[in-house]
Amino acid sequence: MIKSMFRLGIVLALFASGACVALAVVYNITGPVIKTQEERALNAALKDIFPESDGFSDITKELSSSDPKIQILSAYAMTKGGSLVGVAIKATGPSYSSNAILLSGINMDGTIKQVRVLQISDTPGLGANAANPGYYVDKAKKITFIGQFEGKKVTDPFRVKEDVQAITASTITSRSLTAIVKVSAEAASAYISRKGGAK
Amino acid sequence: MKRSTAVFLQGLVIENPLAIIMIGLCSALAVTTSVANGIGMSLAMTFVIVASEFIISLFRKLIPESVRIPIFIIIIAAFTTMVDLVMKAYFPELSKAMGVFIPLIVVNCIIMGRVEAFASKESVPHAVLDALGMGLGYTWVLIGMSVVRELLGNGTILGIQVLPETYQPILFFVLPPGGFLVFALFISLNLFLKKKWLESPLGCPDPEGGK
Repeated sequence: MIKSMFRLGIVLALFASGACVALAVVYNITGPVIKTQEERALNAALKDIFPESDGFSDITKELSSSDPKIQILSAYAMTKGGSLVGVAIKATGPSYSSNAILLSGINMDGTIKQVRVLQISDTPGLGANAANPGYYVDKAKKITFIGQFEGKKVTDPFRVKEDVQAITASTITSRSLTAIVKVSAEAASAYISRKGGAK
Repeated sequence: MKRSTAVFLQGLVIENPLAIIMIGLCSALAVTTSVANGIGMSLAMTFVIVASEFIISLFRKLIPESVRIPIFIIIIAAFTTMVDLVMKAYFPELSKAMGVFIPLIVVNCIIMGRVEAFASKESVPHAVLDALGMGLGYTWVLIGMSVVRELLGNGTILGIQVLPETYQPILFFVLPPGGFLVFALFISLNLFLKKKWLESPLGCPDPEGGK
């Protein structure tokens, strides 16, 4: 009995080690590619939101989230010729199926410059429409869900179905994303006013 | 008909994993909201089932009966993780869209079922043919369903507007109840094909030991 348990354990361990070795090989090949992919996506997104800026510095440690459920993953002070032109914040919070990651750019005057969806795994065709550039919450004006935040003031109420239009049949996604944008904007404008920007 | 051909053809219609055996449905219903997802999921799933059946059939004499399930899961999980990593590295957009369903291939009943019922008892070539048949059977139903759902529910195919702009998308087809309806239609279609197939001269009698 003991002997057979021992034997089974060894067989299981052998198979597990074989699988581990195979995975380690694949991971070592794909790991750097995944990392550069992510970095490239972040750089492109930052450049996209603040095309006028020529540099950025990491200010993640200087910001804090006002909502325990929403986490600020990283924050960048966008600069042009050494002076601050805005703040970009990558934040994550729970959405309908799992966490969503948004990148929000905030202007020096406390308005939102742009919001990008970096990751969302909600229902395709519904919540995932938040990231769909062809899905409009306002069909007449061709405004996307995240597009509607453009120019919005940090001090606005940010209430879904009041000053924020929801994605059809995806109230939970709409609410979660709105909350992430709001928390990011608040943290960014707190940083901006500390640095002597407009209120 | 040769047994190997019969083994391969089984999975397409007569024993279609989705429409006849009816396993692995959760992810099938969840990802078929867009054609791109349907293609991505069926490719990933076909790769994992072929690779797993191959390896398990190859080592079937070395796998002790009493710990076979953990070993199957280790092997399936390893291949699934590989697919996940490769997709993240080379197809980041697709990987983003598929979200949690790629890691969930690990617990896809089709793979577990075929590995347990077939690959663990059969020779390598037959196991691979069975996996290919099952994978293709899964693929055609999945892509078919996603074409119907994306077309009616969103007016597009692969994100390209196919129906005129004035078409008001029937959101119902993208929602879960629409998934069930479309799936039911594919079950009937498959039953019809199965009947035709068995009546035709091509109709293969159930290859015994085919399971």
